[in-house]
This record gives sequence, structure tokens and C-alpha cells, in this order.
Amino acid sequence: MAALPLTEATAAYRRAWPASFVAGGTIFGLVVLAALFGPLVAPFPYDQMDIMARMTPPDATHWLGTDEFGRDVLSRLLYGARLSLLMGLGATFVSLLVGVPLGLTAGYKGGRIDESIMRAIDLVISVPPILMGLLLLSLSTPNVWKTAFAVGIIYVPIMARLTRAVTLEIAREEFVLAARARGERLWYILAAEILPNAWPPIIVEAALRVTFAIMLGAALSFLGLGVQPPSSDWGLMIAEARPFIDTAPWVALAPGALLCITVIAVNLVGDGLREILDPRLRKGRG
Amino acid sequence: MIAYTIRRLLTVIAILAVMSVAIFSITQVLPGDVAQMIVGQFATDDQVKAVRGRLHLDDPAHVQYLRWAGGFLQGDFGKSMMMDRPLGPLIGEAMARSAVLAGISIVLVAVIGIWLGVYAGVRRGTRADRFISVGSYFFISVPEFFWAILAVMLFTGYLGWFPSTGYASLDEGFWTWARHIVLPVATLVSGLVAHVSRLTRSSMIETMQAQYITAARAKGLPENIVIRRHALRNALVPTITVLAIDVGLLMGGIVVVETVFAYPGLGRLLIFAIEQKDLPMIQAGILVVTAVYALANLAADLLYAFFNPRIRYGSSAAH
Amino acid sequence: MSTEVPVLKVESLTLEYPAGGGWLRALDNVSFEIGKGRALGLVGESGSGKSTTALAVLGLLASEARIPGGRILFGGRSLLDLAAEERRLLRGERISMVFQDPFTSLNPAIQVGRQIAEPLVLHRALSDGDAAIEARRLLEEVGIPRPEDVARAYPHQLSGGMKQRALIATALACSPELLVLDEPTTALDVTIEAQILDLLERLRRDRGLSMLYITHNLGVVARICDDVCVLYAGRVVESGPTSDVLYAPKHPYTKGLLASLPRVAERQLRLAPIPGRFPDLASPPSGCIFHPRCHFVVERCKGEPPVLSGIGHAVSCWRAEELADTPWPAPEAQARGARSAAHPDAAPLVEMKDLAKQYEMGGVFDNLRFDRSGGFPLRFDPPRVRAVDGVTLDIAPGEVLGLVGESGCGKSTLGRMLVRLIEPSDGEVRILGEDFGRLSGKALHEHRRIAQIIFQNPDSSLNPRKTVGEIVARPLTLFGLARGNELDAKVAALLDLVRLPSSYASRYPHQLSGGEKQRVGIARALATEPRFIVCDEAVSALDVSVQAYVLNVLAELRDRLNVAYLFISHDLSVIAHIADRVAVMYRGAIVEEGPAAEVLKPPFHPYTEALLSAIPEVGRSPGSSAGRGRIRLRGDVVEKDGLIGGCRFQHRCPRKIGKLCETEAPPWRIASPAHRIACHIPLEDLRRADAVRLPQEA
Repeated sequence: MAALPLTEATAAYRRAWPASFVAGGTIFGLVVLAALFGPLVAPFPYDQMDIMARMTPPDATHWLGTDEFGRDVLSRLLYGARLSLLMGLGATFVSLLVGVPLGLTAGYKGGRIDESIMRAIDLVISVPPILMGLLLLSLSTPNVWKTAFAVGIIYVPIMARLTRAVTLEIAREEFVLAARARGERLWYILAAEILPNAWPPIIVEAALRVTFAIMLGAALSFLGLGVQPPSSDWGLMIAEARPFIDTAPWVALAPGALLCITVIAVNLVGDGLREILDPRLRKGRG
Repeated sequence: MIAYTIRRLLTVIAILAVMSVAIFSITQVLPGDVAQMIVGQFATDDQVKAVRGRLHLDDPAHVQYLRWAGGFLQGDFGKSMMMDRPLGPLIGEAMARSAVLAGISIVLVAVIGIWLGVYAGVRRGTRADRFISVGSYFFISVPEFFWAILAVMLFTGYLGWFPSTGYASLDEGFWTWARHIVLPVATLVSGLVAHVSRLTRSSMIETMQAQYITAARAKGLPENIVIRRHALRNALVPTITVLAIDVGLLMGGIVVVETVFAYPGLGRLLIFAIEQKDLPMIQAGILVVTAVYALANLAADLLYAFFNPRIRYGSSAAH
Repeated sequence: MSTEVPVLKVESLTLEYPAGGGWLRALDNVSFEIGKGRALGLVGESGSGKSTTALAVLGLLASEARIPGGRILFGGRSLLDLAAEERRLLRGERISMVFQDPFTSLNPAIQVGRQIAEPLVLHRALSDGDAAIEARRLLEEVGIPRPEDVARAYPHQLSGGMKQRALIATALACSPELLVLDEPTTALDVTIEAQILDLLERLRRDRGLSMLYITHNLGVVARICDDVCVLYAGRVVESGPTSDVLYAPKHPYTKGLLASLPRVAERQLRLAPIPGRFPDLASPPSGCIFHPRCHFVVERCKGEPPVLSGIGHAVSCWRAEELADTPWPAPEAQARGARSAAHPDAAPLVEMKDLAKQYEMGGVFDNLRFDRSGGFPLRFDPPRVRAVDGVTLDIAPGEVLGLVGESGCGKSTLGRMLVRLIEPSDGEVRILGEDFGRLSGKALHEHRRIAQIIFQNPDSSLNPRKTVGEIVARPLTLFGLARGNELDAKVAALLDLVRLPSSYASRYPHQLSGGEKQRVGIARALATEPRFIVCDEAVSALDVSVQAYVLNVLAELRDRLNVAYLFISHDLSVIAHIADRVAVMYRGAIVEEGPAAEVLKPPFHPYTEALLSAIPEVGRSPGSSAGRGRIRLRGDVVEKDGLIGGCRFQHRCPRKIGKLCETEAPPWRIASPAHRIACHIPLEDLRRADAVRLPQEA
């Protein structure tokens, strides 16, 4: 039989990156850049007060105006990006770090181990998400790390369940059986056979979790259970600006708008990833 | 079905039992002295001792737990540290007010969300579908507390249609009551409707590709009957699970919304308790919310079983 | 053919789907017709466009498909010119369809009776009550016992065979003129398939139905179709009366397909596969679409597409006439007897002794039960299923033991226990005399090298994230059989063993065809230089022409490397073709075992006899088998674990002799030194298998 070259047709099915992925990725990249370098380019220190210029509307000096202490909103926004992203990404990282190994083990090992892991996860899930955060944060002074950790723990069950479901499916695949039949070690099967095939849906879910974590982190800060003053993330900025919403709406609108834009951007990235990684959408031949 | 119900009920009881231990033991593993934390750093030793005595903090842990949990079973929720009032009526009233918000919201979420999802899913790729999809995309990306602030700004600040905060009981007249509840409900519902409609849409699309749908078309059934009789019921089964998840999200939303709109419900009470470090109130509040959530999940599971003949009737009956 | 208007006439139908910016031609100039009361078989391998044709006839194509040319005439009316609403009213009333997969074709949320009644209410305007009565009558007509219960049941409560009967009842509800069947028996076991084919034959006779029967299985066509139309890559390559096309094929593709078929009757020969792979319809080859794979290709075939010509028996090939008597060439025939036959006296390579596996059903929470008999009121009492129930078998070095049985009989579980993918709950497996179950550490590692396994599904047997080279090299490095430069050479040698070029090492699985993937799976198993390979349905997922190729590769490897196989399959023809010895399995146990030649001849176990008689095979024409009286099993495999006593086959056995079968386990009847049958019927009676007349559809 002649070796057939890869047909052009197959190449034609390989798609370009979806537009949503490019658009979302660009916006999110800008926000990340702002978080990394924002404090360097910010026109003012984030906590510099100016009693003479309290609640000035946006103008040439203060592009986004000032808050009730005369602090520059743009500078605080850039600085706050760090904390908000830290909570979103940190929480997702925690949920991946704990949830993926749990899910892999439960899905692959099955039996009693699976049963006990899943029952423990049922327990965590039986508490409504925000209450879990409240419970974890209510009893000591909160800070950004604790909030990120608490939000991450909330999402562990979702990550673990998803990973388990994917693992269950892949563990039945015949290439995994073949690996077991030749006596491969557990870590090899998990790391080299299962995980490389399991990560696409996990990554897509992780992107979604980033958006939820940013929003939940902001909500907790808004409720006073996250970042503490004088440092400030977007959620706390909105909370602080709330009493002056009628007189100085820009102080609340700026972080709110940026929060929404960031969340939409990450959502777009997630959708793009789904399209790139979903084999059903990718496979042209069948 | 009865055996299934009993089994699920037992699971709920087990979850609540374990959760009560977990909630209780958090007070045990806390760094530092709980009594000290309650009375503050500068309190005298006598004050600390008094608090310890009042909370029975010197008893062994399991005795404390049994007293606490036993009280719950008898309807005694303990006493608020800060308000010095029994927690039962306090939590009961707050919960009733929250239940009004939650009840109206979840019904609206189910009705509007499912309708939009089915509408868009059946018309996949049309302009209506894209409009709904983009809209839900936007709504799902805006956090509740920001909606709440925008709503207050627009409807009370500029338009002055609704009061920005507070609560009115039905005794003050239906319209007064309704005016106080519109903004909180609208805020709660916005994101969740988007969530439900997105998932219903994808479930509907998946169902419409099933082989039995083609088989139904092959019988010559008109498309609206194919959708109503064959697709809808199967597509809505996963939506029940989604609604159960949304009850959990709704509870989070209620905490936020009650805070923003100063609505005296359970969420606000809980935040107050946390701010005041009112330990008994925190414990009771969280346990009550967990119980409500567990019951909501139980209801969803039973509904799911009811709509899924595989669970309702075991297998192999007609061999 | 008579002058009356055919029920269905498809004329030069061309159909395209959008793909990668262009249009993919799924059907090209397809023409056929079905006269009243006749059955046309539309035959082709996967991707040939046969299901697309069915959907086009029904008017159920995906909306993105377009039909640039051709007509579909139903009783003279052009269907493509009808309004959508008019076509809808024809569906289910005058044209009905039965789909391939009965497991997904019934709505899981609606009672079966209501689903059958639906078209009656719609087209015949019956009341719900009348429709329900008629639905029960239809269920009875399609041979379902206790139709009232089935009508009330939900689909998940029925077996596959019952579901397919219910779907046929639905299709028949309004007495349509044309019944379109898309692979209606492919998802079913062979004994159930035989029942369904009997049913279809009877319905056609009783109701004068016309049928468009779509299948990949030439044997099924031979059984029930009057005419046949062979599709390849969306083109009709040959059509005509079944007896002409199947017994005197003119097109090289048809000849190739027939030569690829393993047959029970001709088990000594190597199969003659069709080389190459299915063309990419997005960029089809020029000229005759089959020319890249055709053995008889000449220059003209590459340039000019041939046209379908001939009256009655038509063929689309430039060389049809000159090749009329030339068969598809078989590979150089290696006489099978020549290879060193397994020594019956040699120490067995694999020994199974009373091997058993039980499963507990459900999770911990599902199996907590209240117990009022005293003591602790909660009991953990899971129901057990005996997947494998005391199997004793040997495999000699270099021997192919064929293990045949229907789905759920435990044959895969048995195979997996041999390579310790599943731990036995009882009994032992010895490999080279060592108790495999007790081994651990180094010794286990070494034995894992000796015993390997090949799986069924080419799409799942290779890790999609690894190249072919990595996949084949991994066992080599794991067992330290090669390293460094040596590794590449070894991989190339292994690929060569399965007839793949070494350039394939850098490819990813999704770039391979199904047959190629399966061969990579074989190369991976061979990498450890095993003495013994479990082939678990290793060719079942492949199209016939590809299956023949892989079977040849396996047979050749056995001869060259002296590997022993446990060859597991549901397909007795494949087993008969490749196996030296055959074991027949039913509900967890072996019911008959012996040399292939003896098992396939009387005396039979009644189950073996039924399996053999159920196979629809080309060459055993309907005429000849009708005279013999077919054996049909009653019902389906009983799901409940009712093995309290007696023979496990008693519920379905057409030859049950009485109480004895229900109370006592059958003894082993020794037919010859190597051939044993577990049955209460004495050997002399079993030997008279052919003479016994059995009541049809008991």
C-alpha cells in the first residue's frame, strides 16, 4: 500500500483561531499587562489623597476622576486589577491544584476510593457557594490570599467532578487498557495516557471558573470579606463608592465597567478554547 | 420511587449531620480564644470568663456540640450574643422575608430562562437566537452587586420609580410591598435567567440531534409536535439540575442584594452576624441556609427522578 | 420487469454537503428503482452514502445539504417537487423508516405503546383509545409476547430486539407502501438478527410491502433482497437481481467485497482483501472513483469515469465484459496445513481452571436495604452478576482458540482476566505453568510481556496525543527490549510486520484509517514479543474489505512468529475462518469446545446449531436453507440471574427435553477426544441435527 500524503482536504479543515478567542485574548492580555505594569505607569500612587480635589469628575489630570478622598480613580483601578486578577487566577489555580488530582484518582481508581472522595465532595457542594466563602472568611481577618483560597476551595468540587467524569471516560479507552495490560505504573498512566487527553475540557472549565472567581472575589470584597482598605480591588472600590453614587457615579462605574469587560473577555477566551479543543468541532474527517 | 425517596432523604440527613459537626468544629479549631475574640482585645479577664461561662466554652467539645445540636432538634437555635435575643424567631422572620425574594426569583428564573432557552435552541442560528445568546452573554458577565448599583442609580436616582432600600410588609399595601421588591428581584433574576437560558439552549440543541427526533420526524409529525412532545421533555430533564445549582447561586445573590438594598432578610442578618462576630448567630444562620439548600436539592433530585422513567420505574419490568 | 409504475424510482440523484469552503459530493448520479412488493438491498461500506440516500427519500436531510440534480419518484410523483408539508404527510403514512440503532430511536420518556400509536392518530385520525388498541395489535403482529405489558413499558425496560420490533410496528402502523430500513439489525446479536429478518420476510409476504434495505452485510442482502445496488463512495458501481450480482459479480469492487468475506463453509483459504483506503470525497480521484484500489486498473480508468450500463444487471466499469470470469485475485495461497500445527501433546501455554468473575451491582448507597428480620436494620446486600462462571480451557503454543458468543456472554471479561486487566474472583490462570494471579513484581512484569491484548475499537485503541512511533516504542523501552538507534529500527521492523511503511512512525492516529490504526495496535502488542495475544473483537469494527486485510495480517503473524491467540468474536464466520479450535460461550460458561472443523459440524450444542443457522451468509441462498428448516431461539438472553439449577440455555433452547434441563446441570458429552458438548441430549440425537425438524417461531 502506498503511503498516502496528508490530503489537502484535511489541512483545509484545520481552522484558524476563532475570532472570539482572539478578541477575548487581546482584551484579557491588556488587563493582565495593566495588572503587571499598571502601578509603574499609573499617574498617581493609589493611596495618595488630595483633599482639595475630592470627587472631581474626569478631567485632563484625573482621567477617570477622583474618589471621596481625592484619590485618582484610574490609578486605583490599575492597582486594583492586580488584586482582582490575583483572586480570579489564584482561586482557579487552587481549585485545579486540589480538584484535578482528586478527580483523576477518583475516576481512575474507582471503587471505595472513588466513593469516599465523591461523598466528601458532596458535602462541600451541599453548602451554597457564597456561604462557603463566608464560613471560611468570617472567623478571621480576611485578606486577598485568604479570599483567593476560599473561592478556590469553593470550586474544588466542580473541578474534581469534571476531571473525574473525563477520567472515567478516558480510563475506558482501549489505549489505557493496553497500558495497564503491559504493566505500566500508575503515575505513567495518569500523567502520560490520561491527563494529556483530559485537559481540554478542564482548561475550558478553568476559564469559566476564572470569570466566576473574579466575580465572587469582587462580591466578597464588596461585602467586606475580601481585600481590606486602604488597598482596594474593584469590588471594594464599588462598595466604597456606593454612598456617593448619585453625586460621583464615575467612581463606581469605572471599576464596574472594567470588571464586566474583563469577565466578558475571559468568557470569550473560554468559548474560543472550547471551539479549538472540542474534538467534535475540530475533526473534519469521520 | 418510594425507596429512592427514602434513600435520598437519608442522604440529606447524613449531610446535615456532618455539616453541623463541620460548622461547629470551626469554632473549635479557630486560632486564639473565641471568648476573647468576642469581647475584644481589651476586655478584662472577668468579662472573658463570663462569656466563656455563658457559652459553656469550658465543657468538653462533644458535650458542647451535643448541647448545641440537640437544641436545634428541639427548635432552640440558641441566643444571639449581640442582640441578646433568642435566635429562633429572629432567623425565622428574616428567613420568611428572604423566602419571598427567593421564591419569586426562582419561579421567574425557571419560566423566563427555560422559555428563552427553548426559543433560541429551536431557532438555532437565526437572528433571534443570536440576539438571545449575545444578551445572555452580557447578563451572565455582570456581577449582581454591580447590577444592583446600576439599578439603584437609574430607577431611584434618575427616574425615582422605586425606593432604593428597605422593606415594606404586605400590611402596608400591595403596591408599597411590590415597589420595594421589584429591584431586588430584578437584580437577582438577571444573571440567573441568562445562565438557565444558555444551558437550556444547549440541552435543546443536543436533544434535537437525537436519533429519536429523526425517528419522530420520519413518522410525519409536524415540527411543533416533534418539539413539544418529543424534544421538550427530554431537554428539560438536565435543566432541573441546572435550577438546583441556581438555587445555590441565588442564595449568594440574596446575600449581596439584601446588603445593597438594605432588605432585612437572612442574608443581611448573616453579614451582620459576621461583622459583629456573633458566633451563635453565624452557626445557626449557616446551618439553616445549608438545610434549605439541601432540601432544594432533594426536591430537584425527586423532580429529576419523576421526569426520568429510568429512575421512576426500575429496569426490566416487561420481559 | 413489469410495466407498472415502480413504487420508488431514484433517477441520477446527486447530493452535496458543504465542506471546507467547497461542496462534498456524497451522492453522484445514483439511480435505482423498487417495484411493488420487491426488496432492494442498497449495499456499501461506511461512507458510501447509503444512509444519505435513505434520508433523501424520506426528505429528512440536514438543511445544509443540497440536491443539484436528479429526481426521486414515489409512485410516479416527484418527491423533490413537493412542498415540505406534502412530504411530511407522506412520511409515516406511505413511506416509513426503521433506523439502525433501536437503542436510541425510541423516545426514552414516552411509553412504547403511545409511540407506536402516534402515526395512527396523526394520519388515520384514530382516537387515542382506538390507536392504543391498534398499537397492541401491531405489537402482536411483529411477534411480541404480552403486547399489553410492552405497550405500557418505557423503552429502557425492553431489550434491543424488542425495541427493534416495536420500531418496525411503528413503521407499519399506517400500512405504508414503502419501508426504508437502515441497517436494522446491525446493532443486534446474530440470533436476534435472524428473528428480525424472519419477521421482515413474513411481513413482506403478508403485506406485499416494498422495501429499501440498507446494509453493509452481503449475507443479509442474500437472505432477503430481490435486487441489489452496490454503492461505492456515493456512486452506483453495480446493480441487478441479487442472484446475479452476488453470484456472478461484474464490478471489481463487488468481486473484492465478496472475496473479503470470511465464510464458515470455506475456512481454509486466505481472504482476498481490497488494498488501499476509501477515497476522500472532498477531493475524489479522477476517472473511475475505484481505480486507486482496483486490481485491474488500466490507463483509461484513470482518465474517464465509466457509466453505469447494462439492462437488468448493470455495471459501471470499462473492463466489465473482458473480466467477466476473472475473480478478484487472492494473495498467494499459503496452505494452512504446512505450518507447524500445534502439537496436541505439547504443554499448554495458557491454562484456565474454573475461572470465574462476579460483579456486585450498584454503589454502597444503592444497596443499603431495610431488614426487618431482626438484628441491625440496615443491610449491605448487593446483587451479584456472574459474568464468567467456571471456565476451564487450555491454549497450546501457536494455537488460535476462537471464543464465540453473543453480547454480554462474558467473553470479553474472560479475555481480560487472561491479561489481568480484571482480577478473577475465583479459579486460576496459568501461563507457562505459573499461576498468573499470584505473580507480582519482576515475575509479573515478565509475564505481562508474554501475554498481550488487542482491542476492538480502532478509534480508541491509540492515544491520540502520541505518534505511531511513540506508541510502538513505549513497550520496547518499558521492557528494555531496545534503546537509542536500535529503537527506531525496531519500530520500523514492527511496522513492517503489520505491513505499514516506516514513514508512518511520525504520524498521529487521526491521520490513519481504521484498518491502519488497528494494525498499529497489533504492532504495539507484538513489540513485547509475546507468546500469546488476546484479540478482543479485534476486527469487528472494521469494514469487510479492511477486516479481511487485518485478518490476513493476524494469520500471517501466527504462522511466522508462532504466537497463540485467544480470538474473541461475536462473528462465527470470522472465528471459523481463523481459529484452530473453537469454544462457544453462553451466559458465562463454555457450552461446546473442540477443533474448529468438528464444532462446525454435527453433533452440535443446540446453541451452536442456532448460531450457525442464524448467520446470513452469501452462498447459503434462501432456497437451500429453507429446505433444512431453520433453528430459531426463543426470546432474548434473560437478564435476571436465574441460574439456580439446570442448564443455563434452558430458557431459549429450541430442543429442551424437559424437567431435566431445569433441574440438573448438563453433563459433558465427549464427541471426540478433543470435542465436548455440555448438554443433556445424548450424542446420538445431537448428531442427527440436520434430520430434526424444528417448529418455526416456537
